[in-house]
Amino acid sequence: MKSFFLLILFSSSIYYSQEDLLSFIDDEEPASLPIQSIFKATRIVNAQSVEMARSKTLEFIIFHRFGSMSNGFYDLYGLDEASVRFDLSYGLNENISLGFGRSSYLKTYDFFYKLKLLSQKSKPSYSFASVVLFSKLEIATINKTLEFKNRLIYDVQLLIARKINQNFSIQIMPTVIHKNLIQTEDISNNLFSFGMGGRAKVTKRVSFNIDTFIPLGNRRTSFNQSWGLGCDIDTGGHVFQLLVTNAQGTFESSYIENATGNIKDIEIFFGFNITRSFII
Amino acid sequence: MIKTLLCLFILVPIYGKNIYFTRSGSVSFFSGTPLEDIKANNEQVTCVLDMETGKTSFRIPIRGFVFKNALMQEHFNENYLESEKYPNASFNGEIQNWNNLLMNEEPKQVVIAGEMTIHGITNSIKENGIIYKRKKKVNGQATFNISLSDYMVKIPKILKKNIAESVELKINLELKKK
Repeated sequence: MKSFFLLILFSSSIYYSQEDLLSFIDDEEPASLPIQSIFKATRIVNAQSVEMARSKTLEFIIFHRFGSMSNGFYDLYGLDEASVRFDLSYGLNENISLGFGRSSYLKTYDFFYKLKLLSQKSKPSYSFASVVLFSKLEIATINKTLEFKNRLIYDVQLLIARKINQNFSIQIMPTVIHKNLIQTEDISNNLFSFGMGGRAKVTKRVSFNIDTFIPLGNRRTSFNQSWGLGCDIDTGGHVFQLLVTNAQGTFESSYIENATGNIKDIEIFFGFNITRSFII
Repeated sequence: MIKTLLCLFILVPIYGKNIYFTRSGSVSFFSGTPLEDIKANNEQVTCVLDMETGKTSFRIPIRGFVFKNALMQEHFNENYLESEKYPNASFNGEIQNWNNLLMNEEPKQVVIAGEMTIHGITNSIKENGIIYKRKKKVNGQATFNISLSDYMVKIPKILKKNIAESVELKINLELKKK
């Protein structure tokens, strides 16, 4: 009996250990928080990611796509010619961002928004994935004689992404592109595709990214399925994305529907995106 | 009889404790360099103080630090403190010389010593603070510096001029009786 009392005494003294001090008041579940950094930038490689310009932040991206590598050393693997895009977007709040861009490819202006419908959250109030609606209006101005309405192309995408763990994120993107003007009879005005992308972190500041768009429905015979392979480098102030892709354009209808290159002829393009954020 | 005795032995340590606590204490940190000042504030600090022994525990959720710059906040969590791996910083220790401390409305200098864990790394610290009791609440304040390298928080070379190696922490608590 004595030893039993001693045991009780001893076990009660355990209650005074440091760790248990917090347990005296721990009767609430921890708050559930939105998962951060599903992707590092607002683009995966070519494709839009669920990330958007943060609240009250102006985000400036410069896109560069060099020429095709197929000419080899003659034009230094395409470095002699480049296609450029400037992209400015602003986060009105945590759930809406508005943007504007100009691409040298087909001299295209565009206006776009991202609308966050759902944020992936940690337990306990669990939400499985982040969902963002992306929509863009493109105005190609390379052809001077076209009527305005014939210059327009609309893109709508649903971006659904999940950070599986600290190092891996995946995203799917059902996409529809509507062209007001089409060039041949056999293509529809509405083009559907299913995009997929992912990110694998290598170190705290470097990750490898991939994205591609699988066409749904018929396409012209010269159509190539677009893909991009990239590497994100986060330096703190900037995000550098170095990449190779088979599409030279950097807006949706150009890289999803107009990928001209293929690996067989080394017709691929080296490029980079540089993202810089400014607090306003 | 034995049963009641047993109950007493078990219950006394649990319910007999004189515990003060808060779930909304504040910690702010400040990193000052000629190039850039970085500050963040956290209002979600949990702190428990055992009024009988002077032992105290803190828990600081890393995601609770709010920066003016959302991008900075993300970097803080993802690249520096790795809050998914190490969601909380903690402190376990005691206020020294507790039995000789007369707690009243007048702020008293005290020394707090114990183990601080940040970013998964534990260090022993000993810092000065003040404590007083006002309107049935115990108030505690402390300001001290910690060195980032002690907690293996690495700063890339390119940002060495923007982030101070020694960061000032300011703690401000108001504990109420449980």
